[in-house]
Amino acid sequence: MAEPTKETRKLEKIRILGELERGLDDVDKVLATGKTDIELDFSACTFISVDGLEWLEEFLLRADSLKSSVKFVNVQSPVYKVFKVAHIDSLMRACGSPSQDAQGLVC
Amino acid sequence: MTVSSEQELMLTQRANHLVRQARLAAAVFTQYSQEKVDKIVRAMTAAAIENAGKLALMAHQETRMGVTEDKILKNLVASEFLYHQIKDKRSVGVTREFPDLNMVEVAEPMGVIFALAPVTNPTSTVIFKSICCAKTRNTVIFSAHLMAAESSNYAAKIMYEAALAAGAPKGFITWVDKSSRLRRTSELLMSHPEVDLIFATGGTQMVKAAYSSGKPALGVGPGNTPVYVHKSANVLSAAMDIIISKTFDNGTECPSEQTLVIDREVSEQLLNEFKRLGCHLCTQEEVEKVSDLIIDSRSGGINYKLVGQPANLIADQAGLNITQPIKMLLCPLNGELRHHKLAIEKLMPVLGYVIVDSVNEGINKALDINYAGGTGHTAGIFCEDDDVIERFSDAINAGRIIVNSPASIGGLGGVYNHLNTTLSFGCGTGGGNITTDNVGIKNLINFKRVPRRRNYVISFQTTKNIYINPGSIDHLKSLKCQSAFIITSRSASRRGHLAQVTERLPQDCHVDVFSDMGPEPDFAMIQRVVAAMRHSQPDTVIALGGGSVLDAAKIVRLFYDYPELKISEIAVNFLDFHHRMIEFPKDMKTQLVAIPTTSGTGSEVTPFAVLKDGHRKISLIDECLLPDVAIIDAHLTRSLPPDITGDTAFDALTHALEALVSTFSSDYTDGLALEALRLIFESLPETLKNPNNVLYRHKLHNAATLAGMAIGNASVGVNHALAHALGARFDIPHGRANGAFLLSTIEYNAQIPSKFVSIPCYPLWVADRKYARAAQFIGLTVEPIEGETEEAKGLRLVHKLRQAVYDLAKLAKQPLSIAELGIPLETYMAAIPELTEIAFSDMSIRTNPRYTLAPEVAQLFANAYTPRERP
Ligand SMILES: [Fe+2]
Repeated sequence: MAEPTKETRKLEKIRILGELERGLDDVDKVLATGKTDIELDFSACTFISVDGLEWLEEFLLRADSLKSSVKFVNVQSPVYKVFKVAHIDSLMRACGSPSQDAQGLVC
Repeated sequence: MTVSSEQELMLTQRANHLVRQARLAAAVFTQYSQEKVDKIVRAMTAAAIENAGKLALMAHQETRMGVTEDKILKNLVASEFLYHQIKDKRSVGVTREFPDLNMVEVAEPMGVIFALAPVTNPTSTVIFKSICCAKTRNTVIFSAHLMAAESSNYAAKIMYEAALAAGAPKGFITWVDKSSRLRRTSELLMSHPEVDLIFATGGTQMVKAAYSSGKPALGVGPGNTPVYVHKSANVLSAAMDIIISKTFDNGTECPSEQTLVIDREVSEQLLNEFKRLGCHLCTQEEVEKVSDLIIDSRSGGINYKLVGQPANLIADQAGLNITQPIKMLLCPLNGELRHHKLAIEKLMPVLGYVIVDSVNEGINKALDINYAGGTGHTAGIFCEDDDVIERFSDAINAGRIIVNSPASIGGLGGVYNHLNTTLSFGCGTGGGNITTDNVGIKNLINFKRVPRRRNYVISFQTTKNIYINPGSIDHLKSLKCQSAFIITSRSASRRGHLAQVTERLPQDCHVDVFSDMGPEPDFAMIQRVVAAMRHSQPDTVIALGGGSVLDAAKIVRLFYDYPELKISEIAVNFLDFHHRMIEFPKDMKTQLVAIPTTSGTGSEVTPFAVLKDGHRKISLIDECLLPDVAIIDAHLTRSLPPDITGDTAFDALTHALEALVSTFSSDYTDGLALEALRLIFESLPETLKNPNNVLYRHKLHNAATLAGMAIGNASVGVNHALAHALGARFDIPHGRANGAFLLSTIEYNAQIPSKFVSIPCYPLWVADRKYARAAQFIGLTVEPIEGETEEAKGLRLVHKLRQAVYDLAKLAKQPLSIAELGIPLETYMAAIPELTEIAFSDMSIRTNPRYTLAPEVAQLFANAYTPRERP
């Protein structure tokens, strides 16, 4: 059986700096170029607001529809705790957690 | 899709939207610092104070209940007073520290709170709950009473905007909009999986629904406040306070007075004062009219249309002919109080009263009211007699018992007293709640306890005065003593020891002797000796003999000094000395001088005493058993036959080895145990060769005492547990019984345990290393092997130690197995289950470095039978 041909995809690594208070245009632009896997580095992200959370969730949705994969890396524990309490499954999956449909946000 | 299912879907979406906002805000809130939170709380409080009047007016206009001016006060209590109480409280991170307990508390928010606001307090409740939620980093979804939704929701909006401007997360406060579907939306929210807590303040129905949701809920219960006016009360002040309280917001406050219980001695004065201050005292006929109006004849409950209405309106509607303005209606509740229609909660300025003739009757009548639908809520008392207040508080079941102040404003907390400010009155189980608290911020935090490992205090105690060289028996010449009682054995007197003691005691000292102490005394024997001592009234007990005599003398002295003690009570087992339930006396009255004539138990310096109890041995352990003086004079051991010399030396050897590896061992006991070991290995062979050589007898005698000090503080281990069981069952001398297990238990304890011992003072299992150290300390060595680990080398040293023990035993003709003790195999094997049970419950096993499982105990017994080869 022949090996499936692997598409070569670009991997963009982006660092989120400081407080994530709203959507980040640069990151949106990278996604818009298509065929890109994105790694969001949270090592320097110190705070995340409700708008920031909503943007991340929506960003993941868009990436999914564009078949781009998004990975969150180096998430610091205060922000990781926000993801945990938020009960948003897509955020947890981006952090590498298995899907927890049964416990996901039901609203 | 039908209209109703379409509507239901819409409501579900609405509920989901509210919860989603709250959920995200709750997540974001977890990042907030105390400073950020306090800034938000401050801004919200300021906004509430600024809008207190406006909100009160709105509430009154919307509900047509209560009094606007009083609602302003409630709004201010819910903001200004609350703020004063909580502003400096920590609600983020470490909230409390308990340095003595080595523990801290850390706050975790509860998350999304669904909160109800009642019609009686539509705005103050919202202010109160919003500020509490901000302080605790929770988010809140409000559901107002339909009849008060506009004012409640406006209050929520004001609080939210102020919070948001101060940096609170978006969506931190939300509310269910006023609509005919408000009730249904609330139901959906109550059972919504993303709601973490229901904070239910409202009618019984809503509280019940909250509890039925299956979620954690903070509820409230119904009230029915009895207030007792005792004859000692300041009557005029009481009258004014009661009027203030009962008319507050036209009686809508649920802690407010419902029925007064008045001592006859002050009833006339009190009622006259009420009248003078503008209250109406109803006649019996008027009471009937008022009852007919305010009580729903079908349900027996209150007519809700009259809640919070002014007294004149009620009087008019009841058909009372009152023209002048009145503050409230006072109704005598004549006849059987428990059946009186008005003996219930009346959230309006209608107050019942009864007159009583004693404190007992007063409390009983108050209980009648309290238990007529108000358990757990509030009660009041006006009284200057602390005993009566205490009796009242003891009897009445109420979360807050307000003394000498208005019950309603008093119940709110912070104004008349130091209760927590609240708009939510926990009623405990009496009202179907989990707490009787004035519910507040502390009920809205998940407190995480962070206990550090406890600091374990290890101490060292031993006999205070020890005379340690050959000839030191001469110390008796200068012993401070008027009357001595010598306890000894026949062999000691035979060997001349008794005479050596009596001839050295001061001339003027009266001496009595009990020389019949057997080898294994029981409690009956102890009682005999105590009885003998009662005759001679000694100030000093001199114990002269081996371990049994010394142990017996310790117990004799204890019961002589404290005859009220019960042996069954002080012999209770314990897991940890620091926590044991029994208490021994602190000070002993009679001096105890211990003079050992064998070199074995070390009893002269230990806080232990063992007593025979049938086939078992019971151990007493306490510092008060320590002798005051020990005389370690090796001359007394010179006539000891070789077998007893060997037996007792093997007891001392076992003490040293077990204390060394004990979980309670310390640097102090280690030093003693190691030196005791070294002395035994050095002096026992020499002593056996040369029994009269006092130099080696002296070393051996000291070794036993040093090992005694070690076990006196570190205790022993599994070997002793096995030996105690065996010795009691087959009458084997203690030292011999120890020797029979020694090779097995060293091997057993040097292996990595199948189960570790859980005791805080033993953080690291080191038994193997300690045995290796003991081997080196007594001069044993192993040839180095290249590349060998320390652990492997250690095990070779342990092996060497076991060889040395074997060689010493052979030299001293000490048995190293059960077979050598002459016990038939079958008898022994049949006894193992019983032996195992006894050994397993022996206190000695508790300090063994390896957690000794019952099957392992049985195995140790079984393995000990066959005679040993040299390891
Ligand atoms: Fe012993």
